[in-house]
Amino acid sequence: MQALPWLLPALVLIVGVVIFPAGYMVYTSFRDLSRFGKDRGWAGFENYVRVFGLDPLPTVLTNTVVWTVGTVVVTVLLSLVLAQFLNKKFPGRKVLRMVIIVPWAASVVMTSTVFVYGLDPFYGIINKFLVDVGIIDEPYGFLKNATSGFLSAMAVAVFVSVPFTTFVVLAGLQTIPHDVLEAASIDGAGKVQTYWSVVFPMLRPALAVAAIINIINVFNSLPILKTMTGAIPGNDADTTTTFMFKLIQNDRQIDTASALSVVNFVVIIVVIGVYLKVVKPMREVNA
Amino acid sequence: MAVAVATAAALGLAGCGSDSGSGSGGDGENVSLELLVPIYGDKTKPYWEQLVKDFEAENSNIDVKLETQSWDDIYNVMTTKMQNNKPPDILELDAAGPAYATDGALYKAEEIVSPETYEDIEPAFIDSAKIDGQAYGVPTVASTRALFYNKTLFEQAGITAPPKTWDELLDASKKISALGGGVYGYGMPLGSEEAQAETSIWAYGNGASWEKDGKMTIDTPEAKEALTFMKKMIDEGATQPNPGATDRTPLLDVFIQGKIGMIEGLPPIVGQINEKAPDLDWAIAPSPTKDGEPVTLGVADYFVGFNKDEDKQESIAKFLDFFYQQDNYVKFNDNEGFIPATKSGAEAAAAKPELKTFLESLPDAKFYPATNPAWGQTSGAFKSDVGQIETKSVDEVLKSIQAKADVEG
Amino acid sequence: MRELATEPSPSTSGVLDPPKTEAGTGNAATPRKRDRKRWGLTVVGSVVALVFLAPYLIMLSGAFKSRQEILKVPPEYLPGDWKFDNFVNMWGTPETPLPDNLLSTVVISLGGTLLALLAALPAAYYTARHSFRLKLPFMLLVLITQMLQPTVLASGLFREFVSLEINDTWLAMILVNAAFNLSFAVWIMHSFFATVPKEIEEAAWLDGCSRGQSMRRIMLPLVWPGIVTAIIFTFIACWNEFAASLILLPTDTNQPLTVALTRFIGQYESAWQYVFAISIIGILPVVALFAMIEKHLVSGLTAGGVK
Repeated sequence: MQALPWLLPALVLIVGVVIFPAGYMVYTSFRDLSRFGKDRGWAGFENYVRVFGLDPLPTVLTNTVVWTVGTVVVTVLLSLVLAQFLNKKFPGRKVLRMVIIVPWAASVVMTSTVFVYGLDPFYGIINKFLVDVGIIDEPYGFLKNATSGFLSAMAVAVFVSVPFTTFVVLAGLQTIPHDVLEAASIDGAGKVQTYWSVVFPMLRPALAVAAIINIINVFNSLPILKTMTGAIPGNDADTTTTFMFKLIQNDRQIDTASALSVVNFVVIIVVIGVYLKVVKPMREVNA
Repeated sequence: MAVAVATAAALGLAGCGSDSGSGSGGDGENVSLELLVPIYGDKTKPYWEQLVKDFEAENSNIDVKLETQSWDDIYNVMTTKMQNNKPPDILELDAAGPAYATDGALYKAEEIVSPETYEDIEPAFIDSAKIDGQAYGVPTVASTRALFYNKTLFEQAGITAPPKTWDELLDASKKISALGGGVYGYGMPLGSEEAQAETSIWAYGNGASWEKDGKMTIDTPEAKEALTFMKKMIDEGATQPNPGATDRTPLLDVFIQGKIGMIEGLPPIVGQINEKAPDLDWAIAPSPTKDGEPVTLGVADYFVGFNKDEDKQESIAKFLDFFYQQDNYVKFNDNEGFIPATKSGAEAAAAKPELKTFLESLPDAKFYPATNPAWGQTSGAFKSDVGQIETKSVDEVLKSIQAKADVEG
Repeated sequence: MRELATEPSPSTSGVLDPPKTEAGTGNAATPRKRDRKRWGLTVVGSVVALVFLAPYLIMLSGAFKSRQEILKVPPEYLPGDWKFDNFVNMWGTPETPLPDNLLSTVVISLGGTLLALLAALPAAYYTARHSFRLKLPFMLLVLITQMLQPTVLASGLFREFVSLEINDTWLAMILVNAAFNLSFAVWIMHSFFATVPKEIEEAAWLDGCSRGQSMRRIMLPLVWPGIVTAIIFTFIACWNEFAASLILLPTDTNQPLTVALTRFIGQYESAWQYVFAISIIGILPVVALFAMIEKHLVSGLTAGGVK
């Protein structure tokens, strides 16, 4: 009970602002809602039965795995390299650090929008650039088919996730005491060896948190795919999150969508649970 | 919560307090009306702000709270409001508005405007949104579709007259596409933005109907023939590349830039071309159909009034009557560039040459079966699935749309 | 902003590239060689910078174009006719009261960040320093709050705030933003607190520091990078929040920039030049904030004076 005063403000916020709407979401998933949102009573597990009967579900689940794992792994690898680079001293480093924050500072919707604009085959500047430098012969409809649209969206997801991840890693690098590195150097360890045996383990706590946040955010990300692949017909470029919104917007199945959002929530909890078990970033928590 | 509230309050961040609409006394009861309207263009919001101001000046006991939303977001916002039983008092929306009546949420159309106003509205528009013979929506604007074509490209391709039939359309489109240089014959937007409109123009042009006896009829021979021809247009290179994932608005811009020979458009586009590309040499012709039989898609937006616990019916009617006053109403349609839905407004519009083709096609216009509660999901299914005719078989696509249309709501 | 431009300050320019040359391996290299290597890094850095800036340069170019030019086929990289007044006119458009929107964004973001920090700091410190039975459940509960899709929660929040009668206020959005970002703040600060050896703190207590003093003098400097990361993360998330604001703030003067942007998207045409210009304006304050506290993020340990 000694802990309570320290934890109370956080608990109050969580219970007050998150638990209620989350409970409401669960409640809605057991209700029968009309196409227009009117509550028509208890539905039992009907909405859930309907979710698991949705034809595109297997495709959408596979996409979700590819989307989340692909984006996060690439993001983390790029960020480790970039953070190491930013940790060096060179003229212009400070400016570069400012520049790298820009994709993070900009709203994700706007960044996606500008890519949609730039990748358009008619008036897109990125397309024009690719043609001008000779990478492609004529403008290509990057966002006009599911595969290249999905991959383009993933690239944008990496693009907007790298800055944050890089800075968490960079902040982690600062906490490594110089004498530890010196000691490693004196031991005669090579650069690569020093990195993996000394630097990387000390980055783990920061990296673990960054990875968790990335997994969650990427998994739940709506705006990138909605903006970039929203015009593509079918569900071949959908993740469970965008699929959920198509269920509301196109199919008017608000109650089924609620059930899917609960399923979505359970899936991400399981994913994070597995991650915690395997990576054990909470070692310190349990220690 | 207390901690958080206290902290925020101490910081002086409590935001804007609620309006003090109550307790001002004076002439009878004070009523507050929530008005939710979609944004057509950059003149929409100033128009409503001024109208509300003028209205409040005449009716000091009625306080109108205006909320505007983009067409992208308004459905999402309305869903949340409905789910929480907090609809606005007055809503302007497409045919999805009157459809709220299926949940018993709306006043009847004749309850929210005076008999004089009701009389003045074209019966065809009122009929287009009746549910079981009862009207709930009062039409605000109407539009029909027509073929916009680029005369310069026509000349270059040696086409003398705008196509009337599908075959002529295919032929003309291929000729223009053959010009090359990033120029395409027919602009076919089947992306999610408004795929149901493009599809309906084609299907209606072959005598298809999306509804029969209360059931959605999507997978029909007429529709199949229409979609098959659309696929032919795509396969033979008569359209822009990737029509399945091309949205309407960006494609219209490409037409305005002179890179597309023909595209289906509607009245507001006229003003846009005049403003953005005054040098474009273009004209409008009736939508081509299979045999040249005149028919096209008509669309209307409506005002509906929500019947909530407190009785605001009289105030709603007062406000809407004010909106339909000749001056106010004509100005609204001038701003947005649509066809007025009232008889008196139509007389004013008849004077405008740019609306001629649209007004003429009005008698042959066929509307969405929007009064069927399943239309919303059907239209959604068109948006998300019909673009797949580019890669899948027409049969498969129609079946999947029919299946989605048949889901019980 | 001048600080931004001045390159390595005299006090640090002599230091070799940490961490790898820290042990003095660079001594063998001549100063010239070292310089060349550092400038080589600058060249690489410039390329990296260009990649990260590219989409925003497109945005910037678009912000200076006219409404007609922005959708020109084929496009031009730069405006033919520079419309500098886009950046002036956007403040007075009929679509949205932009000065109010900017103020809303600032107030909501500052309020949300401050509140999140005030709630997260004690929790992060306590959980990193003490073992108690409900610690793991608490940390998991915090984490789980982050896993909910914000758009999905908007409907329930609407219901809650309407009944609390704080719907359509900044306060509502401050609470929402603080709660949505609490999880990250707690976890990241927890992980930084946890990396500080207990011994350092205990030694400080032995030296006669009070708990508060040791917190201020020893712990804070050590975990400062973590706190700064939490501040930046929370602030940016608040700054760009859209899903809940759209539903909870119907009055235009209360709406943040993200919602205001959508007002320029019409049914048949959009004022992209304003959308882009406002997006650019929206990025600048965040970068400025970052410039202000970036050095704390970087200096961290060394500046803390722990030898």
